[in-house]
Amino acid sequence: MADVVLDHTAASHGAAGQYEAPLFGAYSKKVGMWLFLASDSLTFGALLVAFSYNRLSNPAWPTPFRVESITNASIMTACLLSSSLTMVLAVFAAQRHDRAWTRNWLLATMVFGTAFIVLHGMEWSHLIHEGMTPFGNPWAPTVPQFGGTFFTLTGMHMLHVTIGVIYLGVIALRKWFLPILGAIWLVGFFVIPSDNVFHYGIHVLLVGLIVATVILFLKPKDYDAHDVEVSGLYWHFVDLVWMFIFPLVYLMSTKI
Amino acid sequence: MATSATTHAHAAPQGFIRKYIFSLDHKVIGIQYFFLALTAVWVGMFLSLLMRLHLYWPNAVLPLVGEIKPETYLSLLTMHGTIMIFFVLTTAPQGGFGNYFLPIQIGAPDMAFPVLNMLSFWTTFVAFVVMLSAFFVTGGAPLHGWTGYPPLSAVQQAGPGEGLGADLWIGSIAIFCIASLMGALNFLTTTLDMRAKGMTLMRMPLTCWSWFITAILGLLAFGVLLSAGILLLMDRNLGTSFYVPLVVVNGQIMGHKGGSPLLWQHLFWFFGHPEVYIAILPGMGVTSQILSTFSRKPIFGYKAMVYAMLAIGFLGFMVWGHHMFMSGMSPYSAFAFSILTMCIGVPSAIKTFNWLGTMLHGRIRFKTPMLYAIGFVSLFVSGGLSGPFLAQPVLDIQLHDTYFVVGHFHLIMGVAAIFGMFAATYYWVPKMFGRMMNEFWGRVHFFITLIGTYAIFMPMHYLGIAGGTRRYSQYTEVAYMQKLMPIHGFMTYAAIITIAAQFIFVINLFWSIFKGPKASDNPWEATTLEWTTATPPPHDNFGGVTPVVHNGPYEYGVPGAARDYVMQTDPAIGAAH
Amino acid sequence: MHDVAKHDDAKGQYFWVWGALLFLTGVEVWLGYRQIFVPVRMLEVLLMLSVVKSALIIAYFMHLKFETALMRWMLVISVCACFVIMYLFFFPDAGRILRLGVG
Repeated sequence: MADVVLDHTAASHGAAGQYEAPLFGAYSKKVGMWLFLASDSLTFGALLVAFSYNRLSNPAWPTPFRVESITNASIMTACLLSSSLTMVLAVFAAQRHDRAWTRNWLLATMVFGTAFIVLHGMEWSHLIHEGMTPFGNPWAPTVPQFGGTFFTLTGMHMLHVTIGVIYLGVIALRKWFLPILGAIWLVGFFVIPSDNVFHYGIHVLLVGLIVATVILFLKPKDYDAHDVEVSGLYWHFVDLVWMFIFPLVYLMSTKI
Repeated sequence: MATSATTHAHAAPQGFIRKYIFSLDHKVIGIQYFFLALTAVWVGMFLSLLMRLHLYWPNAVLPLVGEIKPETYLSLLTMHGTIMIFFVLTTAPQGGFGNYFLPIQIGAPDMAFPVLNMLSFWTTFVAFVVMLSAFFVTGGAPLHGWTGYPPLSAVQQAGPGEGLGADLWIGSIAIFCIASLMGALNFLTTTLDMRAKGMTLMRMPLTCWSWFITAILGLLAFGVLLSAGILLLMDRNLGTSFYVPLVVVNGQIMGHKGGSPLLWQHLFWFFGHPEVYIAILPGMGVTSQILSTFSRKPIFGYKAMVYAMLAIGFLGFMVWGHHMFMSGMSPYSAFAFSILTMCIGVPSAIKTFNWLGTMLHGRIRFKTPMLYAIGFVSLFVSGGLSGPFLAQPVLDIQLHDTYFVVGHFHLIMGVAAIFGMFAATYYWVPKMFGRMMNEFWGRVHFFITLIGTYAIFMPMHYLGIAGGTRRYSQYTEVAYMQKLMPIHGFMTYAAIITIAAQFIFVINLFWSIFKGPKASDNPWEATTLEWTTATPPPHDNFGGVTPVVHNGPYEYGVPGAARDYVMQTDPAIGAAH
Repeated sequence: MHDVAKHDDAKGQYFWVWGALLFLTGVEVWLGYRQIFVPVRMLEVLLMLSVVKSALIIAYFMHLKFETALMRWMLVISVCACFVIMYLFFFPDAGRILRLGVG
């Protein structure tokens, strides 16, 4: 695909006047990302409907989250919120054409995102250790939906965060990110004990590595301020979804 | 304000694979979609033929498939519905014709995201292969119908096809959802960002409007189905109980408890009803285009047509509950759904009367595309009229599980949409392949198909009112239904003749592509942008220039003009307007 | 030309938004423990706070406040309408299950 030059940005300076003004006043990639997010929010919306439906039809919903869990989840929330702030700063740096700080702020965002994933993974392991599965839980044997909805909602969100971190890594470091991702995958695979679900879950990184490699080698390019802004939109959206999952899943099931 | 619309500087690709297989050109991708849908429609039609044969001769041993057992019949039914709805009605009008003609009609060199476009096609292709593979696994294809209601679809042990076959079925639909999302997002961005100078929204051809609105529906609906599918897969394979209450299969208690099958129905139909409009809206657009062109008159009430389509799209999201009156729901919801459903009759009637108004006093040229467009209007009316019956919970409870519903949705969303596609094929093949299709055989094909489809689906209404239940594989065992068997016989014979007539279409299509008379650049004397460029269009659609639009899309019979039509790019009357 | 929005001078407001989001999260956790509201009311209050938080994220972090009016309204209205429709019909139904006691 190397000889196919899709020049989306050069045209925005040269070809003015050949086309009608874009209806949303934004470049195509940004419109595309917004539309994707609209559709993705309905994907999450449907999962939340499923959650609410099960929750309403099962009055004996368990409330097992102890103070440690809630504290952990609050820290995770703070991580995501702070990552959004660093993401905004990265977008600003990109607009100033300040490459070093763009990279630094993106890396900070990724660190917060990774912290979120790790904390959440520990939380999952803890709950699984206590006996929670997608089809049952020790606190309310008549309500298997508790585990199912928890793992579906948070799992789907964790997947989105993981994709987001890989996405930002590609934007920030380009092909230098690939060995880092590969290293994290290998280290994760060998360090996480094999009775833990993430021993296998970490292979998501391998899939991400393959996809990122294909993209970076088929279409090597220097990511500009537009790309940073679009990746930022995705990242903020992931943050936004958590703002609904956190109170619904955690705070409504607090053990007093 | 500089535009972000892009000049796609990509050179015409070299080499067979890059040019025809993994092409980034929206025109090649459109043709790929078209042939994928053509393949799918033959598979789907073959399955329906088997069903019709079985219904009239239940004990016959058919060549190739042998005797059809009840569970085989249900598999046929499931796969017929799924393949037709996802891989024909969704794929051909939007992915095929939309991909080919949306960029040309708005004056763009390509779609906004060509790579995404290619991925979208190949993802659809993978989904189709996965769907077909469900036939060949142990246990065969699933039994749960295209709606996949749990608990039947959610419990592995529920039936012979509910093992791996059902997993493949759900997997295929999930993949298809992703493909459709990519497609929809591409269509929307292209329409929003890449219109040529002068192509304001209200100068877009109604086809573009219909693809645009269809893409909005697809964008908002397929994400929900994706979630629903993921939950169903989890219910099947991880033992969760989202959709499954306590169930007993063959005297054995399954591990599920406390789930609600209604949840699936809500999520599914939240997608499923917009899906109906995803299938029919492009047909409406094409019909408007063709009726105006061949009546040599501007479309009657252009703005009303646009607003009617928007209203249909909007209301389409608020009526999914009318599929669930039988499942039980709050009477308040049922009331609201019923009223809103009947509201859809209003924009539909606006469109119908505008189509009739377009033809009134026109100098009509009865070419094959025009015949099919008129056929579309006819089927849309006769299929649509039974809609208000079914919109009322009281009548629906009587009619829902009968052939009345089968007749209704086949006429309006099945055959009407297919007629839209036929019209589009006869209309656009000259532009796509540079050759005219045969007019005589086109007409023969039209009349057999029109009369044939009415002969198949009209009697279903009477059958339904008489109490003929649907989804049963045999009616010979029940006394009162035996009296209805002659109707089944009539429909089966009609189906055989109609399906045979489709060979005329395929032979005509392929013969014309290779041997038909060469088409000029504007054989139908139409006004929209695709007829201003060469036939077939060059790689960047307009040969290096970007067209400038001066007129609306349907300037026919303009007083004082040199010809009886004014192209959209023609500055002749642009100043006067 | 609205290609990359220039609001660099107002960087301070993003820190304020960040602070507000953290504060609102704190309020939510506090409410979760104080149990001031009974369950259904509690759900409403928490969801209300979540909507405020997401509105802040969309408006400032995702920059929608600074996009063209058409984009702002089209996106927000279409997605919100879908949610409203989904839940509008869903609650009488789910409530009916609750009342009938089918679980």
